Amino acid sequence: MGLLANSGTFVRFAVEGEMPENFWEFAAARIAANAFKDIDDNFEEYSIGWVSVMNMFDAQFAFASHAVGDYIVLSMRIDERKVPASILKKFCMKEEERVKREKQIPKLSRGHRLEIKESIKLMLTKKAAPMPAVYDLCWNLANNTVLFFSTSSTVHAALEDLFKETFGLHLALQVPYMAAANLLHPSQEPALAGMEASIFL
Amino acid sequence: MDLVDIIAEKRFLGQEFLTWLWFKSEIRGGAIDLPGIGDISVVFEKHMLLEYGEGEFHEKIICQGLQAELNEARTGLRMGKKLEQARIVLGRGEYEWLMTLKASVFDFKSVKTPKTMATKEESDEPAAVEARLLEKIGLYEQALQLIDELFRLYLNLRLSAEWERELTLIREWVRAKE
Repeated sequence: MGLLANSGTFVRFAVEGEMPENFWEFAAARIAANAFKDIDDNFEEYSIGWVSVMNMFDAQFAFASHAVGDYIVLSMRIDERKVPASILKKFCMKEEERVKREKQIPKLSRGHRLEIKESIKLMLTKKAAPMPAVYDLCWNLANNTVLFFSTSSTVHAALEDLFKETFGLHLALQVPYMAAANLLHPSQEPALAGMEASIFL
Repeated sequence: MDLVDIIAEKRFLGQEFLTWLWFKSEIRGGAIDLPGIGDISVVFEKHMLLEYGEGEFHEKIICQGLQAELNEARTGLRMGKKLEQARIVLGRGEYEWLMTLKASVFDFKSVKTPKTMATKEESDEPAAVEARLLEKIGLYEQALQLIDELFRLYLNLRLSAEWERELTLIREWVRAKE
C-alpha cells in the first residue's frame, strides 16, 4: 500500500522547524548518514534507516534518487529480529525441565527462571531472521508537508524519531484540529479552540 | 495540549465534518460548490462506521450496503451517532478518487487515484520512474486539496453565525430519514 501501489493508505504530517541553507546538499548528506544498515549478517536485534522507494535494498541513492522534483521521496525501512512468544515459552520450559532434572530439584527460583528466559531469548533472537517492513514517505518542500504511508501510531513514533535524527525537524500529525488551525485565519484560532460538539438531533 | 489530548478532546471535529459532508452531498444530489474550484461531486458509498459516546458508553455500528440501503446508518444518525469512517468517491471534472476517510484522526485509507494514460508506462529508467512518482504524488495531493477545501468550507460555516441555520437544516435532514 505504498506510494506507487494501486491504492495507498496514508496520513499527513506538517514539518516544523527552520530549514537549513543549501537544503539539497544538507539533505543528501543527512540521508546518507541515516541510510539503512543491513543486519542479515550480524546479530543486531533492530535496524532502522532510509532506503529508496523503488528498491528496499538500495541505501546508496545513486544520482540522488531521493530528489523528485520539489519533493523528497524515501522509504523508512525497519528490520527487526523477533521471537514469537509461543516459541520463547516452549524453549524456556524445555530448559527449565532440563535444569531441574540435572540438579534434581522440584522447583526453580523466580530469579533462576528469569535468568533462563533471558539467555534463551538472546539465543533465539540471534537465530531469528530479521523481519523487514518498509513505509514510503513523500515530503513536499514547497508547503512543508509529509505524506506517510502507514496509519500505525507505533510506526509514526519511529518515523518522528528518525526524521528528527536525520533532518533536525519535527513532524506534527495533522489530525483534524491541527489541519483546521492551518486552514483557518489566525484570528479564528480562539473560536476553533473553544468549539464544542454540535448536536444533530 | 499534546496530541493525545487533542485527539480525545476534539474527536468530534472530524466526525462532525464527515457527517456534515454526508448531509451536504445528499441535499444537492452529490454536488458541492467549492469556492475557487467549482462544483465537485462527493458520493458516500458501501461502507460506513458510526460512533456514539465515550468510555464505557462508547457504541459503534458498521454498515455496509449500496448507497440506497444505508438504512442502519441513517437510523444511527437519529440515535445521535456521528460518522467516524466512510468510503467516499470524490469527482472533479473527468477525474475520480476513492478513499476511506477515518474522521477523528484524518487517516486516508485505500485511496485510489484516477487512471491516467501514463499509468501504463512501466519502464524502470530513472526519468520514467520520476515521472511516475510525480504523477502519483500530484494525484494524491489533488485529492487532499479537495478534502482541505471541503474542510475549510465546513470550518468557516461552523465558526460563523450561519451555522445555526445550517444546523436546523441538518436536523431536518436527519429527521426526514424516518
